[in-house]
Amino acid sequence: MKLPLAFLALIAVAALIGPALLPWSYDSIDWNAVRVAPLSPGHFFGTDSVGRDLLARTLTGTRITLAVAIAAASVSLLIGVAWGAIAGWTGGRIDEAMMRFVDALYALPFMFVVILLMVVFGRSILLVFVGIGAVEWLTMARVVRGQVITLKARPFILAAEAAGAPPSAIMIRHLLPNVAGVALAYLLLTVPQVVMIESFLSFLGLGVQEPLTSLGILVKEGADDMDIAPHALLLPGGVLVALLVSLTLIGERLRDRFSG
Amino acid sequence: MRALLLRRLATALPTLAIVLILSFLLMRLAPGGPFDGERPLDPATRAALTSAYGLDQPLPTQIAIYVGRIARGDFGPSLVYRDFTVTDLVAQGLPVSLTLGALAMLLALALGLGIGLLAAGRAGSRTDHALMLAMTLLTALPTFVTGPLLVLVFALLLGVLPVSGLESPRYLVLPVVALALPVAGAIAKLARAGLAEVLTQDHIRTARARGLAPWRVLVVHALRPALVPVASYAGPAAAGLLTGAVVIETVFALPGLGRYFVQGALNRDYPLVLAVVTIYAALIILFNLFADLLYGWLDPRARG
Repeated sequence: MKLPLAFLALIAVAALIGPALLPWSYDSIDWNAVRVAPLSPGHFFGTDSVGRDLLARTLTGTRITLAVAIAAASVSLLIGVAWGAIAGWTGGRIDEAMMRFVDALYALPFMFVVILLMVVFGRSILLVFVGIGAVEWLTMARVVRGQVITLKARPFILAAEAAGAPPSAIMIRHLLPNVAGVALAYLLLTVPQVVMIESFLSFLGLGVQEPLTSLGILVKEGADDMDIAPHALLLPGGVLVALLVSLTLIGERLRDRFSG
Repeated sequence: MRALLLRRLATALPTLAIVLILSFLLMRLAPGGPFDGERPLDPATRAALTSAYGLDQPLPTQIAIYVGRIARGDFGPSLVYRDFTVTDLVAQGLPVSLTLGALAMLLALALGLGIGLLAAGRAGSRTDHALMLAMTLLTALPTFVTGPLLVLVFALLLGVLPVSGLESPRYLVLPVVALALPVAGAIAKLARAGLAEVLTQDHIRTARARGLAPWRVLVVHALRPALVPVASYAGPAAAGLLTGAVVIETVFALPGLGRYFVQGALNRDYPLVLAVVTIYAALIILFNLFADLLYGWLDPRARG
């Protein structure tokens, strides 16, 4: 648990403040150092095929990837918690219909829905995360609903009802705080999935657009160039994998703790 | 069993219809059209093209025509590959994608179940922990990283396998491995969890008390009920393989459906994209249906 947390903190801090500390920006070109190896003077990670500093690009790419991931995961959190809480609390036919809807969406090929959205509304970064967030809330809704149904039968909720508290107050003051732990764990598990989708789209050329960069674009550029400069694939790929693995490990640990 | 099947079909068909209609509407909402080029077309040509492809009809009519055609297996002409119908393109791409997917699924099942059995047989040991950590790593690795990495190691550095293209079965080795790895990881974890739970039950204790060999207890008595969580993963696994195949076909330049999908999405080739989405959705729904049947076979209590 400590190692993944340390990795995650390192990556997040580097992505946050790193770009400001470097003399190169993600799109500035050093004509004197095209495709140099890592550890060259002035270019710790080396440069890519047009002489852009790979460390600067990797840090900016990580920042964009993380920003998209956090925004999209938050969208999924909002929709998922609201949907699940309402379904679980009202119960009966409405619950049945709402969860059937979730089941039906589960059967859809998500990635293709997101790609359709990208194709339709243009490839903007805003839409990347709204699109992803809009399809990633299903698991959250299921988990929150289950949690709310168990909580509903607990004495303190009955007591609050008996004391005449309005449903909205019960929901906000009594239910949601008790759902928060599980929701947090699943939020953390949603983040790596969103990172994966964003990188996937960018890799295919459907997500974040040049000259702006993300880890997916860097992996794509590295893969195109790997016979001559394997470091261009290995470095951003390594950061992406470290990010995904640590997020998954932390999320799974939290989930196991909260779901007993 | 038949009631279950009918109930599932009753949700599967509307889902498919929703996919069809939604994807059709989404594509029509898109700004820009297939005839927008660098130079504007003259109005008469544009009008002729628009009416030739039926794009001047009202939307409900277009949908009705579209659904009717699909029911007959006709996906219309491709807007970008001028000399091909979408059905031709699909007929070329689908066998490649299905071969790739089926081989990857088999490999993932073999690897996943093998490792799951191995880990559950020594539950709690170091081997178990190490294997499960490795499986978590596998599921977290995106195919667009493992694909290029495998090419780097086995094709460029060692030179034992071809880089890309599809000229002989050897060309399928790396793509199948890259595609199978994350699914194998997930199956191993599910099989391990399922087995660990089944192994605590009474009938296993009885089997052990009768003096059966440990592998016999594991394979003959514990495996079938433990496969229930694996079966319920079949739907997501199919979806994962299909999306993974899009990347893998791009990385390895395989002439499959996924590559046409990406090309179609980049070119706004409506009929092609719609056809691929429809086929993918149908495949995933079919797989979910299959998973439900498997579920009923593995666990008689679920036949209800």
